[in-house]
Amino acid sequence: MDPRFTEVSQVFERFKAAFTRNDIDTCTKLLSQLKVMLTEFPSLPPLFKKSPNAVHDLTLARDIYEHAVVLSVKCEDQDAFERDFFQLKPYYTDTCGIIPPSLQEYPILGLNLLRLLVQNRIAEFHTELELLSASALENPCIKHAVELEQSFMEGAYNRVLSARQTVPHETYVYFMDLLAKTVRDEIAGCSEKAYDYLSINDAKQILMFSSDQELSEYIEKEHSKWEIKNGCVFFQKAEETAPCKEIPSLQLIKQTLSYARELERIV
Amino acid sequence: MFNSGEVILALRSTTPLRVSISTSTMTQDVEMKVDVEMKEVTATPSNPISSPDHSLLQNLKEIVSLIETGTYLKEVRRIARAVRLTIALRRKLKASVLASFLDFALVEGSEAHSRLSSYIPKGDETQMEIDIATSVTQGPAKHSLPELEIYCYLIVLIFLIDQKRYNEAKDCSSASITRVKNLNRRTVDVLASRLFFYYSYSYELTDSLAEIRGNLLALHRLATLRHDELGQETLLNLLLRNYLHYNLYDQAEKLRSKAPRFEAHSNQQFCRYLFYLGKIRTIQLEYTDAKESLLQAARKAPIGAQGFRIQCNKWAVIVRLLLGEIPERIVFMQKGMKKALRPYFELTNAVRIGDLELFRTVAEKFSDAFNVDRTHNLIVRLRHNVIRTGLRNISISYSRISLADVAKKLRMDSANPVADAESIVAKAIRDGAIDATLDHTNGWMVSKEMGDVYSTNEPQIAFNSRIAFCLNMHNEAVKALRFPPNSHKKEESAEKRRERQQQEQELAKHIAEEDDDEF
Repeated sequence: MDPRFTEVSQVFERFKAAFTRNDIDTCTKLLSQLKVMLTEFPSLPPLFKKSPNAVHDLTLARDIYEHAVVLSVKCEDQDAFERDFFQLKPYYTDTCGIIPPSLQEYPILGLNLLRLLVQNRIAEFHTELELLSASALENPCIKHAVELEQSFMEGAYNRVLSARQTVPHETYVYFMDLLAKTVRDEIAGCSEKAYDYLSINDAKQILMFSSDQELSEYIEKEHSKWEIKNGCVFFQKAEETAPCKEIPSLQLIKQTLSYARELERIV
Repeated sequence: MFNSGEVILALRSTTPLRVSISTSTMTQDVEMKVDVEMKEVTATPSNPISSPDHSLLQNLKEIVSLIETGTYLKEVRRIARAVRLTIALRRKLKASVLASFLDFALVEGSEAHSRLSSYIPKGDETQMEIDIATSVTQGPAKHSLPELEIYCYLIVLIFLIDQKRYNEAKDCSSASITRVKNLNRRTVDVLASRLFFYYSYSYELTDSLAEIRGNLLALHRLATLRHDELGQETLLNLLLRNYLHYNLYDQAEKLRSKAPRFEAHSNQQFCRYLFYLGKIRTIQLEYTDAKESLLQAARKAPIGAQGFRIQCNKWAVIVRLLLGEIPERIVFMQKGMKKALRPYFELTNAVRIGDLELFRTVAEKFSDAFNVDRTHNLIVRLRHNVIRTGLRNISISYSRISLADVAKKLRMDSANPVADAESIVAKAIRDGAIDATLDHTNGWMVSKEMGDVYSTNEPQIAFNSRIAFCLNMHNEAVKALRFPPNSHKKEESAEKRRERQQQEQELAKHIAEEDDDEF
């Protein structure tokens, strides 16, 4: 057995022990050590050099990066999540024929979809979705994220919130909580346009606040234009666009001149 | 009045004439050739068995002469024409004709000759041997022009693909690509770009596109270094196709946005590019731009490219639906597309009515078709639009309606339909899809009175955008007119002329020498 390989697996064992103890500091320290050590293996991406140990190396490296992704969720560090996920991704896409698929693959892919949703990167969300096969879309972890996106787009926000109870994996909770905040902002934006006023109790219920105190704090912080009086929240409507009385002469002149110029060119 | 035969003959004789303008011996030779051809044309009906083969061989020889003149004159246009003529002959190609053609065009015993001949099945050689014997004495002597060699690779490759011998086609194309890499001549570019295409095509047919991605990237880099714009265009499209084959939209977009762009050289390549661009943009939710690219691709594509146009239309229909537009009925009734677009027609119908139930049945009924087109994920996105149209219909027809009825009309099947309906309506109001307000205490949706649109600036803006479109179309058309190169320069510079004359003399000497050798 390659001495480097044994060394890495020993460090990884210590990492896993710290991981189960929830000792985040030790974990991060060991992880950066591990990542440096992994750079010395030629059989890993991007080189993919063929060697008899390739299968072991790849499996171990994939395992390490999977743990790294989960660790970043535990630390609630979205940037680290993105970095670790991109390091992990080649193991899922390019090693199909070499090592057996990982059990963690779909939970982590679903987690990434959720992250993109939370960060409102919908274009990337769909780009990632295209990479998944039909059978992958049936997986509960992936399906969860896909359905969330749909409900989110439609505006069925209470469906998004109730999905928190049915998370397929405990790591999802962090992102679901973030999503709840995004949803609240969305609801506030919609209510502003859709209602003339709401009673305080209704507003509390719709915006998911448990006390009047929280509601008024939120309104002060995010929507200072709203007014609270007579037990109701009044939304400031945007000025109605009145029928146009004036002729936009300057614009018309500009357009007519450009037509004249173009016609000149044709004739 | 000319009849068509005479016109063709005139064309044939003018092309070689220009080459040999300085030497009298050559003109004689050309006249002789023309005579021979004429005799052959008249002689063919009397020999029905070998005549189609014979005339095919003759056609190929004409193409060869076209390539030769194109090469000597450095006129890429002629070589492009040769490629076009070859494609017209494609269906008629036969092993026997091809074998004798290779003997004609390539030096026997050369590497290319032996390699290419190995792909051609041995068959009734006896009949053709007579032809070879005659053709050697009649036609111009053998040359080892690299253009000709590449052309032979191309024609053999096309033949192999048509014969469905894909693995051999793969070998052959890989060999040709290695050869092309070492050639840096602008006259090869046209042929090379076709070779690239069939190279990728042969790998696609054997479902091993991923293997050649690195190679295509290297070729693209090479083409960029050599300023071979046609090659860059072709290779960029092949790479995009390669990525999209594996749904790698991210990589495709990164390459596309960073690759150098220039005015399109080939309409076909430009159409393809637009199609791929439209697909990428659709996936990335840039629907307005996607619609523009896809519709342009469908319009620009030649009438013959039926399959391509169908694909463009399918994607365009979905994108327009996603934008909230309803494509006209005429889109689905285009000649030859009716059957292929049927699933999309029913889908449009479901979206137009805004019936979730109908939408679901259509999506299920044609799920196989949608999976084959790989549009399934886009169809899933459409659900949202179905709800929107349904909502719009409700908002137009009722001035006031309870949210419970809205939920019932939209056929929403969830645990809490009224709450769902409320937030969905609220979002639609915010996005400007409907003009209404919500009354939470009573659970009503109250639609606002529609103002008179003609009292606003709306019509003026619409009118302006249409005029701008027409004017732009005219300008684009003027820009797209093609003029023969250098026609604005009546006089060529003295230096150029000297160079050209020198070349012609060399050529004449070269041919004369070879003529001597033969006698």
